[in-house]
Amino acid sequence: MLSLFTGHSAFLKCKTTLIIQVSGLCFFAWLCQWVAYSVHSIIPGSVIGLGVLLILLSCRWIPEKVVKQGSSWLIGDLLLFFIPPVVAITKYESLLESYGAELIVCMLLASASVLVGTAFIVDKLFKFERKQRLNSISLQRSLLK
Amino acid sequence: MNGSLLGIFCLLLTLAGYYISKRLYLRQQRIWFAPIILAPTIILSTVVIFQIPLVDYFQFTHWLPALLAPATIAFAVPIYRERALIKRYPLTISVGVLSGLCLGVGSSWLIIHFTNMPSELSHSLIVRSVSTPFAIEATGAFGGIPELTAMLVLVTGIMGMLICEPLFKAANIKSSLARGISLGASAHGAGAAKANQMGREEGVIASLTMIFTGIAMVITAPLFALLFN
Repeated sequence: MLSLFTGHSAFLKCKTTLIIQVSGLCFFAWLCQWVAYSVHSIIPGSVIGLGVLLILLSCRWIPEKVVKQGSSWLIGDLLLFFIPPVVAITKYESLLESYGAELIVCMLLASASVLVGTAFIVDKLFKFERKQRLNSISLQRSLLK
Repeated sequence: MNGSLLGIFCLLLTLAGYYISKRLYLRQQRIWFAPIILAPTIILSTVVIFQIPLVDYFQFTHWLPALLAPATIAFAVPIYRERALIKRYPLTISVGVLSGLCLGVGSSWLIIHFTNMPSELSHSLIVRSVSTPFAIEATGAFGGIPELTAMLVLVTGIMGMLICEPLFKAANIKSSLARGISLGASAHGAGAAKANQMGREEGVIASLTMIFTGIAMVITAPLFALLFN
């Protein structure tokens, strides 16, 4: 019984931490959006916030554990947050009915070209970088001899 | 009263649809059970079948998209955590992100010129290869509509997951770096999930590429829009 109770309180504690962290991130996001709005920034507040948080973490002004749980929940359940906008496409039903097939073909072509194009470029570059590294290593070895 | 009851039902439907499909996918690792496919299908079909008015659907669920902004900020944590990997391949990652971005915007822009789709639809297509929170922010610069963009981003992710393996095989792409970067750049979150199944390094590199491509898209969208108009 005791173990059940402690298990329960650990669960509650974990959830409380999560809620506090997510609320903190929400408040921070609101603050950043307000700042971006007031200075008429071209870059949206959320991206400014990302940059600021990254700087804070890199300079170790805030430890990672302060945002760890909250950020992993927000990123892990990202899909949930954009289901409502997806449901809103029922507004554009007629548009999608008449252009649906065309749209799918366009997207397939574009997606395939991005996928293969990027993979091809990165693959070539990766091989080039590796060759350079191997060359410099063998050069160093020959110099040492 | 009736309206707000329906509103609460819609919120519960959205949450239940999402978490049930997530749980189901944990047990049955089949692509058709992936939350990105199953959850929107369940929720969308319920709304369509019962003809729930969008006003009622949005009464409480409009709080969910509000979490997209803090989610964007949360992306700072994985960047910080994987800083060692970024330092190891700075050139490859940045070239991958830039080429993914340019190919994504360029290919869509080129293809829509051969179609006669109305501009609100075709312009929503341009930003579709980056993650939703970034795409919704960036689509305004091209004259796209956020809701249509969200749907196109979702479909792009599903497509990327389905076509990546045969394409990699056909193009003879073997390195984990190339697979991860191209999946992250072309199919955002869904691509990163797919890359994660291929291996840990692929997954991490795909997530990083997805985040960087999103940031780059948001920052360069006004420039691209100037270029195209």
